Amino acid sequence: MTVKVYSEEWAEQFKDEVNKSNTYKAAAKGWKWTVGLVVEAEPDKNFPESRGVVMDLFDGAARDITVGPASDAQKCDFVITAPYSRWKQVVMKELDVTKGMLQGKLKLKGDLPTIVRYTKAAQEMTECTTRIPVEWPDEN
Amino acid sequence: MLGGLIEANVRANVHKRQDFDALVARVGIWVTDIDEGVTLVFDDGRLTVYNGLEPRRTITIHAEAETVMSLSNLKIGPLGLPVYYDDVGRGVALKLLRGRLKIDGLLPNIGTLNRVTRIFSVQ
Repeated sequence: MTVKVYSEEWAEQFKDEVNKSNTYKAAAKGWKWTVGLVVEAEPDKNFPESRGVVMDLFDGAARDITVGPASDAQKCDFVITAPYSRWKQVVMKELDVTKGMLQGKLKLKGDLPTIVRYTKAAQEMTECTTRIPVEWPDEN
Repeated sequence: MLGGLIEANVRANVHKRQDFDALVARVGIWVTDIDEGVTLVFDDGRLTVYNGLEPRRTITIHAEAETVMSLSNLKIGPLGLPVYYDDVGRGVALKLLRGRLKIDGLLPNIGTLNRVTRIFSVQ
């Protein structure tokens, strides 16, 4: 079933996908920090307000994933920030998360060595987002 | 990002700090699948990061983004040498053999490469 991107339903499906992934489970073993994704507003893309995805991840599992204001995501241990259209590129597999981070297209806050140690987990997590059928606000 | 990674590593680990302080080298990293790169100029405890490849490089690493990340994930063995016999190390060695990882200036500068690898490694 198609869900609106960055909605509560989307967050629920994202959590299910992460918890279904054996690849993520193995790659994120030992991970114990929260991750926030900040999706910056792009009013011209019908995405008028920034949103935040807060992920409570622990030892290869997603304990909780919620969507709310960007300020919630900014409080996480690790924060990845990009405009709406860039996140859309990630979800559409047009931008690889590793390349995006190396190029500075996805801005990263948090301990870099830890993130680099878990590159595979980050890649699989974004891969999980590609498995959720979504409605995009700029495609209505 | 690579400059930030080195800064964090050096701040957190005294051995990496010693390597960093002793290193004088111009290291180019060209990420082949994004067609972008940087030159890291190490100069007695200082690091300057330039966008693109600057002249007079000691070594230049050409690799895909994923391989650059793998280089950062190489474990360092007891003699301070990168470990090439675990999964990550074997992957890097295979890429080197298959030409998907190229290191210009490798043979005369193996010591420099090992030191750079130690500074880069997050393991």
